[in-house]
Amino acid sequence: MQHETTDLPMISVRGMSKLFGEFVALDRVDFDVSRGEKIVVLGPSGSGKSTLIRTLNRIEPHDIGTLTINGKLINEKTDPIQLRCMVGMVFQNYNLFPHLSVLENCILAPMRVKHMSRIEATALARRYLEQVGIPDQADKYPIQLSGGQQQRVAIARALCMQPQVMLFDEPTAALDPEAIVGVVSIMDELAEQGITTVCVTHEMAFSRRIADRIIFMDQGKIVEITPPETFFTTPKTDRAQNFLNQMLRY
Amino acid sequence: MISFFSFLPLTRHFRLAAALAGILVATAGLHGLAQAEPVPSFVQNGVLTICTNPTLPPMTFVKGQDVSHPEGFDIDVAQALANRWQARLSVITMDFTGLFPSLSAQRCGLVMSGIIRTPAREKSFDAVTYQDTALVVVGRKGTPSLTSMDELAGKSIAVESGTSYITRLGLINDTLVAAGKPPMIIQQYPTEEQVVQQVLIGRVFAFVSQDVELFFRMRQLGDKLHVLITPDIPDYHHFAIYLRPNAADQTQLQSAISALETDGTLSALRTKWSVTDQSTKNGAANVSASSMFDWNAFFSALTSTAFLHGALITLSVALISHIIAITISVPIAIVLNSPQKSVLKIVLEGYVSLFRAAPTLLQLLFIWNAVPQFFPIFREQWFTPFLATILALSVNESAYQVEINRAALSAVDPGQELGASALGLSRRDIYWRVIFPQAFRIALPPTIKRIYQFAKNYLSCVCYFTAGTSGCDTDTGCTHFCFY
Ligand SMILES: Nc1ncnc2c1ncn2[C@@H]1O[C@H](COP(=O)(O)OP(=O)(O)O)[C@@H](O)[C@H]1O
Ligand SMILES: [Mg+2]
Repeated sequence: MQHETTDLPMISVRGMSKLFGEFVALDRVDFDVSRGEKIVVLGPSGSGKSTLIRTLNRIEPHDIGTLTINGKLINEKTDPIQLRCMVGMVFQNYNLFPHLSVLENCILAPMRVKHMSRIEATALARRYLEQVGIPDQADKYPIQLSGGQQQRVAIARALCMQPQVMLFDEPTAALDPEAIVGVVSIMDELAEQGITTVCVTHEMAFSRRIADRIIFMDQGKIVEITPPETFFTTPKTDRAQNFLNQMLRY
Repeated sequence: MISFFSFLPLTRHFRLAAALAGILVATAGLHGLAQAEPVPSFVQNGVLTICTNPTLPPMTFVKGQDVSHPEGFDIDVAQALANRWQARLSVITMDFTGLFPSLSAQRCGLVMSGIIRTPAREKSFDAVTYQDTALVVVGRKGTPSLTSMDELAGKSIAVESGTSYITRLGLINDTLVAAGKPPMIIQQYPTEEQVVQQVLIGRVFAFVSQDVELFFRMRQLGDKLHVLITPDIPDYHHFAIYLRPNAADQTQLQSAISALETDGTLSALRTKWSVTDQSTKNGAANVSASSMFDWNAFFSALTSTAFLHGALITLSVALISHIIAITISVPIAIVLNSPQKSVLKIVLEGYVSLFRAAPTLLQLLFIWNAVPQFFPIFREQWFTPFLATILALSVNESAYQVEINRAALSAVDPGQELGASALGLSRRDIYWRVIFPQAFRIALPPTIKRIYQFAKNYLSCVCYFTAGTSGCDTDTGCTHFCFY
């Protein structure tokens, strides 16, 4: 599946808008994400960060503009299943399936969507559970795990589909500080492995450490796209400066 | 006939010859048909269909479990009539109060169910007498005999519901009240079996029945019962076969009965079923009635085939109609829970609120009595009261089940669908692998509770009271008992 055009961006967004009725949740956003690039999306609550990354796997279909992923135009004609094999997602609330064990959570999609055998899928799942540091929890059920462990399962479950892009929507927002450290270290590890990542987070230190670029949003618009060292020291806009002041006050 | 021959250890040739002989005999029979008497119009397509309530031994009753095959004097007479007319006999069993509505609705050609000939009934139907009878008042052994019906003043009397005894006792009550005496307290029960039980357990003083019936009970219960009085009741002397008003049919039926009387068929059947045996009618021993609890009566009621049969029907109706209801209700609930507006959704909302709001009794009546008028196919025999009940209750219960399902589906975190679709699962898998298993767990307790309440409240009575007939006849007293 190697393309010769590896210099082509992994994700390319042009003039994309998303409306909820009259409300403009995304207002003509433009950006590219290169292969292997790590993007962190920052912005005040309600600025459209979740909406933005949900349009990337078409859980929220965009209304206007174009979205290209891996050279393919994504629109209503795209097979959503193919798209979601390529783009994995981790949610703030984990969204694990409570009636399935950890292992079953991980092998369901590989078996049903990618038609892997159970043995194959199980081997893969164990590998990723090992990678996220919970190889011994495979037979437990989600409610028997702590929040941090559940989020690790959610990450492993997404990785089992072996996506080319990972989307994270505030993966640590529901966790206590100790658990945050664990999950962040796993994401550090993933970043090193070079998977293309778009991550919404409020973990400033983490953003600074791993982000290649920061997308800063406000009121549905992308206000600026800057490398982290510039963003955290000398943001271009007042709005970004205000946001940072608020975030860093604590 | 041919299959009978094939069991014989005969050579092939001989078997063939025998089969041919059989065909010849059959043809001779057909030849005889051409000369037979004209066939009445209620015999349709070579089938004589009768409606009967098989709870009156020895006239019409069920021995053992098989409700669809009643036996008795009436059934044998019907068979003899069918033979005369070269017809096949088909017997439909039902609750007593369903008999005449079914005759009107053309579900059957004749009602043969040990029914008394009365001028009131003859206003709506034609009747042909085939057996004499008398009314008897029966009490427990040891109860002193009575000299006059006046002695029953203030006493409780059990009768089978839907029978003419109720009116007759009402008339006697009028004279009692006119004479300044308290009236008899008349209690109705849906089957004769239960009527007898009320006397045995001492709930009522006596029951009213027919001499033929009593003979059978005496044979069954030994000496536990005895006749208190045989009152001379006007218009209470004959059993009649009822048919829809048609002078020609009545004449043909009358002549067929006369012919059966003349050739000795009826008297042979009377002997077979002891219909005329009056020997056990009297002979009351004047032993004071035991007031002790009769365990036997209680357990015989509890383990009676009628009760077990009723319980079985109850359970199967509850389970079958709920399985259907659940199957229907799941897709309806999914459509109703979806955010999109559609015509289908409006129609389904109407369906749910209609069937939740309308009384169940009305729905049962509608399915059993109105639907056959719109769609002739439901007039046919396969549409039994049992099926009608299942149909009505499935539709009714699906409306309730939709609400349970909707609540269960909404109780599943929307993040589940989000998470599942982000993994690329198909709509089908999202429902079957992720949402349904969780919704099922939420819906299970209220569903079980509903089935239990349903079986307990509605059906136990429907089916207990119709026990001994072919299911739940809905235009009858059985539903009456349930819903009031
Ligand atoms: N399904 C929806 N229907 C209507 N409005 C929505 C919906 N999802 C999000 N919004 C609105 O869009 C805006 C952006 O939401 P979101 O992308 O969740 O913001 P963020 O993740 O940055 O907090 C908010 O004002 C929110 O109320
Ligand atoms: Mg958000």
